[in-house]
Amino acid sequence: MNGVHDMGGMHGMGPIVLEEDEPVFHAEWERRIFALMRAMSVWERWNIDMSRHARERIPPARYLGSSYYERFLYSLETLLVEKGFLTQEEIEERVAELAREEA
Amino acid sequence: MPLLTKDMVPNILRLGGSFQVDEDIPPRFAPGDRVRARDINPTGHTRLPRYARGRQGVIERDYGVFIFPDTNARGEGKKPQHLYNVRFMSRDLWGPGAGARDSVYLDMWDDYLDNA
Repeated sequence: MNGVHDMGGMHGMGPIVLEEDEPVFHAEWERRIFALMRAMSVWERWNIDMSRHARERIPPARYLGSSYYERFLYSLETLLVEKGFLTQEEIEERVAELAREEA
Repeated sequence: MPLLTKDMVPNILRLGGSFQVDEDIPPRFAPGDRVRARDINPTGHTRLPRYARGRQGVIERDYGVFIFPDTNARGEGKKPQHLYNVRFMSRDLWGPGAGARDSVYLDMWDDYLDNA
């Protein structure tokens, strides 16, 4: 699809900032998202190209404002809903519940 | 319920999945052939970048037979076909302002290419 992920040739995105001795994960939640993705792949309900397309379908403004593992998370949510593991309502309810616990 | 268990993890991380297909499918192009990337605009997944569509390049290398991502992403099958490395002169992609000796190398499936 002709989405914002296809950035080759775009101007104004700024330089690529390289991090010295970059860690594999920058936060504990990133490690969890990576593990979730791997754990769900064992079900073989989608392939890598479907998961790439799920990432490309993140709405453009959100896509550009998201980090690598945030995109992992959003695309995993899309796939989990589309393949019938979860409903969007269940995800939203859980997010609201966690927000209440934190408050 | 399929579970990812601890003993499976090293293998899964090491193999990472190969997308090469062990099928004897004839290539449509050979190294040195002049090709043109198709001007397609699919709404699904594709690995053909917009900036290369309609542009001419030269086949550098034939990697062998691989799963075709565009159909695989739609659940429409693997459609195995040859995957090539294609060299595009930067000036053919970006115009006269690009370096005369610069090139961009892109991996392209048979279905992305026509004879030029």
